[in-house]
Amino acid sequence: MILSPEILTLLILNAILTFFAIIAFYLSLRIFWKYDKNSSAKSQYELESQSYLAATIIKYIFAIKIPLFLFFIFTLDKLSGSIVGAMCAAGVVDATDYGTPLLMLKILNLYLFAYWIVLHNEDSKDENQPYVREKFAFYCVAFFLFIGEIVLEFVMFDAIDIKSVVDCCGVIYSSSSASYLSYFLNMNQLVLLTLFYTLFLLMFLFYKLKNRYAFTLVNLFFIIVSLITLISFFGTYIYELPTHKCPFCFLQKDYHYIGYILYAFLFLGTFYGLTLAFKEREEGYKLSLFFNSAYTIGVSIYPALYYFKNGVWL
Amino acid sequence: MKSKINFYLIEFAINSLLRQKAKSIFITVVITFLTFLLASVFFITNSIKYELNATLDSLPQITLQDVRGGRIHDIDIKNVEKILAINGVSDASSRVWGYYYFEMLDVYFTVVGIEEFETALTPALASLSEKFDFNSIAMFVGAGVKKKMSERYYKEYFNFIKPDGSMKKVNIAGVFESDLELEANDMIVMSKQNVREIFAMSEERATDISVHVSNPKEIATVAQKIKEQFPSFKVITKDDLKLSYENMFNYKSGVFLALFVVAIFTFFIIIYDKLSGVSSEEKREVGILKAVGWRVEDVLKEKFYEAGIISVFSYLLGIALALAFVYLLQAPLLREIFIGYSDLKVSFRLPFVMDLQTLLLVFFLTIPIYIAATIIPSWRVASLETDEVIR
Amino acid sequence: MIELKNISKIYESNENNRVTALKDVSINFKEGELILLKGPSGSGKSTMLSLIAALSKPTSGEVIVDTKRISKLADTFAATYRRNNIGFIFQKYNLIPNLSVEDNILLPLIPLNLSEDEAQKHVKSVMEKFHIAHKKEIAVKSLSGGEQQRVAIARANVNKPKIILADEPTANLDKELSLKFIEILRELKSQNKTIIVATHDPLFFGLDFVDREIEMLNGELLV
Repeated sequence: MILSPEILTLLILNAILTFFAIIAFYLSLRIFWKYDKNSSAKSQYELESQSYLAATIIKYIFAIKIPLFLFFIFTLDKLSGSIVGAMCAAGVVDATDYGTPLLMLKILNLYLFAYWIVLHNEDSKDENQPYVREKFAFYCVAFFLFIGEIVLEFVMFDAIDIKSVVDCCGVIYSSSSASYLSYFLNMNQLVLLTLFYTLFLLMFLFYKLKNRYAFTLVNLFFIIVSLITLISFFGTYIYELPTHKCPFCFLQKDYHYIGYILYAFLFLGTFYGLTLAFKEREEGYKLSLFFNSAYTIGVSIYPALYYFKNGVWL
Repeated sequence: MKSKINFYLIEFAINSLLRQKAKSIFITVVITFLTFLLASVFFITNSIKYELNATLDSLPQITLQDVRGGRIHDIDIKNVEKILAINGVSDASSRVWGYYYFEMLDVYFTVVGIEEFETALTPALASLSEKFDFNSIAMFVGAGVKKKMSERYYKEYFNFIKPDGSMKKVNIAGVFESDLELEANDMIVMSKQNVREIFAMSEERATDISVHVSNPKEIATVAQKIKEQFPSFKVITKDDLKLSYENMFNYKSGVFLALFVVAIFTFFIIIYDKLSGVSSEEKREVGILKAVGWRVEDVLKEKFYEAGIISVFSYLLGIALALAFVYLLQAPLLREIFIGYSDLKVSFRLPFVMDLQTLLLVFFLTIPIYIAATIIPSWRVASLETDEVIR
Repeated sequence: MIELKNISKIYESNENNRVTALKDVSINFKEGELILLKGPSGSGKSTMLSLIAALSKPTSGEVIVDTKRISKLADTFAATYRRNNIGFIFQKYNLIPNLSVEDNILLPLIPLNLSEDEAQKHVKSVMEKFHIAHKKEIAVKSLSGGEQQRVAIARANVNKPKIILADEPTANLDKELSLKFIEILRELKSQNKTIIVATHDPLFFGLDFVDREIEMLNGELLV
């Protein structure tokens, strides 16, 4: 393992989060089994008290997870300097078999923990505490995924060998590579773009119709199509290079770290969209539309500006 | 879901911290100290790395050495011609240099030979060779060397002891400065002929061969070609050097960090313990807050604001102190641990290097950990039964 | 508007030490009433107040305020109920000594995250009403007993509660200040607040604006 300070820091913090996650898990199990709102027994009072501790821990984990995730990406990016062949985080992610699943798991967990917080907030508003058991049961499931992420992260860092030569994003994401990704990237760009903008407009349609399940579904597809179009189309306009298809390079300083902002918008927009499946909230719609629009406009600016400046497409 | 910042709560939190002076000061001192230590270590290593990289940058892109039995052996000068014939090589020249052991002070000087009309020189050496009188038996020395020699009263000249036991007197023509302190400090420059004499090296041999490549991106390729042509020689590229130094640094920092894990763990325990000792005063206050309608969540939030404020404040203080310690005071004591790569105690100034990464690293190693340590104690306090406290 | 149904409260400090503070008490209070709870110390007056304020939960029985079963509320909601409906004047005032008058009065409002204007408005109006605005910056520990009590009263009113509970409010006051307090009570009554005062101070007995006087002994009501 490369024993760089960044990796050690990530591992130390992961250890702390794990320690507290386990405490919360233990408490969540107890609460799920024994919580009885109507009981006046002392044990119930204790459980109630402990539910605050569990909730606080989960909130803390989520609050730390976000900057830690950004730091994780940042570390991967920095590691690319030490690994031969890697020019950006893409190469580092690809350096082991664990990189891509880890990244996806991390993103999934962000969604899950954020969702827990929404659940918790709704539960806290109502005196009947309707979601107490659900939310802690949900955490118990999320806990396993969280531990999976921690273990996978450790394994991945352990497996990275600086002496191995990896491909850079130019190879990983190119149309000629054999990876499954290239299948999607090879699809007709016009089709993909039409899909992208159509999904975006559908969101507004379903907002007007107040059909929240359709809205959620559209958001789900939007995540997938956005990522594909980002890599195969919009990204190339950020780099101004038709062959540069990479979802990580624009996180770097050279591109003013725009990647972080775009991804943030996408995450927030789709996250709020997904929460609508759980509960109808006017603000859920609005926030989702706002961030998704911010994302769509953000990515669309690049090709638009390019065409404006140069009169041609890439 | 987005609520505006509760300034009254912030104000109350600050006030609360001030009302518990002893505890607050203790915590501030502990966090500041930890931050200070961490930041200082990182600042020092960053500065050294920066200096090192800059030094390495001035090295030849490829160095060729004849290694026998694991030791560097003199290399035949005729190989220079052969190297020049390789495609992609823009320049190659023989280098004559070595480490001279000055027994009286138990130090090593780096003795470097230069030639008139030599092309592949560092900028510092190049400017030096312009004013150099290659006919004289004289040398230019670095500031550190001058100092060391003066200690033994060699002010105008120095007596080198040759391998056969006889002495060679060389006049000190002057002291040279270089932008790169690491480079200049322990170096002595004289004509190649004189160096050969001191180290008893024949005219047909050299210490190693430095190679320059016309296209920097092709360094690895050319190095490969050389390896194929001279399988017995050791070929070192600049990138190899950089990488090995980088990893050595990471290792050293890594070891330090491993020690820090212990320190952090201790830190966590101390904080936890300190916060768990809730004074009756504090208990009463929480009781009052809950009696007037604060929920457990509100009390917890307030405690977190306290934790956040004190940790951020201490963090900033620690960073400021570390900056002053490392760059103003030049990190006495601590730097000795890191500057061990050369046997001459290099007295150079740590250059100011500041990057976001270091600040982030120190941030992640202190603040989240402190806040984590406050979770359980804060919860305990917030959950106290109001009724019993008020009576 | 306040109903106590078969309330029992037993304190267990340890295995063998059980104190029964209230024994199967049932009573109703109407909105706008001013009630006196009379009885020696240990009769259960403070406990009853504490239960009405949802500061503690009964061992058995129910407390219902405005059709809401507050005895069953989880801590979060009990606190919310308290801050919206109750103003409690404690026997020992329970002020934070090193905080200023203004900050003490502000306390109940802090978690509500009101705008600065609103918060200031609330605090100012009660400070003026209870005549301690002129000392608003002064730390509470430097005030006299009477002044401290006025701060306690102001704090109890800052959240515009419907119910005011006072536990032995004149225990530490001289006659003059006690009378002043009674005047304040009169005024609060005129605002149609429901007021319950636990006291054994004879100054309160037989007052014209008191609606009911209830006697308690050993955790039970004396009819």
